[in-house]
Amino acid sequence: MPEGSASLQLAVGDRVVYPNQGVCRVTAIDVKEVAGQKLTFVTMRREEDGAVVMVPSNKVVAIGVRKVATAEDVESIFEFLRSDSDKADLDWKQRARTNLDRMTQGGILGLAEVVKGLQVLSELRPLPTKERELYDNARHLLVMEVAAALGTAEVNAEDSIDVVLFPPGRERPKRTAAEFARDEEDLGLDGDLLGLDGDLDLPSDEEPPAEPAEEEASEEGEEGEAAESTEEAAPKKRGRPPKAKPEAAEGGEAAAPKKRGRPPKPKPEATAAAEGAEAPAPKKRGRPPKPKPPEAEGAAPAAPKKRGRPPKAKPSEGED
Amino acid sequence: MIRVWTLDSFDDKQLAKFNRTLYTAFGVGSEHSGSAEVPAGMPEPLDAEKLLQEVKGIRSYKDDKVLLLTTRKLKERELPSGVAPTSGFAWHGKDRAVLSIAPHKDLETGFKPVARHALHQLGHLWELHHCLDPRCSMYPPWTPSFAQGEPIFCTFCREKSEQKIRLAKS
Repeated sequence: MPEGSASLQLAVGDRVVYPNQGVCRVTAIDVKEVAGQKLTFVTMRREEDGAVVMVPSNKVVAIGVRKVATAEDVESIFEFLRSDSDKADLDWKQRARTNLDRMTQGGILGLAEVVKGLQVLSELRPLPTKERELYDNARHLLVMEVAAALGTAEVNAEDSIDVVLFPPGRERPKRTAAEFARDEEDLGLDGDLLGLDGDLDLPSDEEPPAEPAEEEASEEGEEGEAAESTEEAAPKKRGRPPKAKPEAAEGGEAAAPKKRGRPPKPKPEATAAAEGAEAPAPKKRGRPPKPKPPEAEGAAPAAPKKRGRPPKAKPSEGED
Repeated sequence: MIRVWTLDSFDDKQLAKFNRTLYTAFGVGSEHSGSAEVPAGMPEPLDAEKLLQEVKGIRSYKDDKVLLLTTRKLKERELPSGVAPTSGFAWHGKDRAVLSIAPHKDLETGFKPVARHALHQLGHLWELHHCLDPRCSMYPPWTPSFAQGEPIFCTFCREKSEQKIRLAKS
C-alpha cells in the first residue's frame, strides 16, 4: 500500500517536506479513479495551517517531496551557516535562478544556502523587495524544518539559526563589493561584451553610437543591480553622452554647433572637414544629417544620400 | 487586541505609555488587562517557556495577543547551536509571550529598549521572523545595537504584520 515511489517510500503518518510549502504529514495513501485510470494518491496535510494536497504517487519524487531532515542534517546546516564560505552572487539574474533551484530542489541545505547568501548580500546593501520576500520564505521554511527535525518550538529553531548567523555580542560586518572578487570575473566579461559592441558601432557610423549606448543603458536600467556592479561599462555609457555634448559645443563654431549640437559626436568631424559645406547642409536638412557633410563635402549632389539617412538621425533627435 | 498582563508591579502611567507605543506600532488596541502571579516555586531566573505554560489566571479572547511583563530575569536558553540570551520569549504564531524588563529597574529607565523588545515578541506572535535591518525591532535582540534602536518596524515587517492582523480580523 505505501507506494511512494522507487526511492521514497511513504506511509501514513510520515512527515515530509513539500518544496516551497513546508512540512507536511502524510494523512492518507489511497487509490482513486481519475479519467478511467486507477491512480494512487498521497494525501498530505501541511502542519502549519492544515492545507491539504493530493499528489499522484508516481509524481512525488519529481515534485521534490522528501523526508524531513534528520538531526545530523541540521547539525551540518549549523556548521554551514557558521562557516565563512559566503560569496554572494552580484549578478541578480544568476542569483535568482540559483536561488529558485535551491528552494525547489536543494533540500534543507538549499534553504540554508539561500538564507546565508541573501544575508551576506544584505551586508553589502539592502535587499530588493523580491529578494527580501524570498529571504523571508526561505527562512520560514528553514525554521519550520529545523523545528520539525529537532522537535522543538519554532522560536527556538529560529534562535538556533540566528545564534549562528548573528553571534551574540557581535555586530554584522559591513561588506564592500570588492570582497566579492569572484564576481568581478563575470562582470569583466559583461564589460568586454559591451565594449565590443561599442567598438563595432564606432567604425561603422559615428552617429549610431549614441543609439546603442542609450539602448544598452536602458537595458542596464532594467537589469538594475547587474548594471550597478558593471562599473566599467555602465558609467561610461551613461556619463559620456551628456559630457560629450558640452565639449562638442565648446570646441565647435559658436552658432552652428549650438543649433545642431545635440548630436554631439559628429561635431568634431564637421568642424574639421565641412567648413565650406556648413552653410548649405545645415540649413536644408541640418539637424538630422550633421554628420553627413563630411561624407558629402565636395558636392551638393550629396542631397540624395542625405535623404537616406534621416531615418538614422531622427531617432537621435527624438531621444534628445 | 494586545493584552498586557503584569507579573510584578508597574507604574500605571508608564504602562499607559507602553500601551500607546504598542498601539502605534501595530495599529491594534492595547491595554493593561491585569496582574497575574508567577507559578509558585519557579526559581529565578525564570524559565520563559515553562512560565508561559504554567502561568494561571490569564483571560483573553481567541484573537488576542497576551504579553506578560515581569521585572525578573529570564533564563538563557540552551539551543542546539549555542546559548541564546533571553530577555523575552514568544510562541511563534500563537497567542502568548513573556518579556522581562531586566536589567532595567522599571519601564521609565529603559522604556525604549523594553518597548522594542515588546514589539519583537509581539511580532513573533504575528508570525514575523527575524529581520535583516538593524533598525527594525525584529532584528535579533541579542545584538549590541538592538537596545539603542527605536521601537519601530522596517517597511517589510510592518506590512507583513499588518497583513497578518488583517487576516486575523477577517
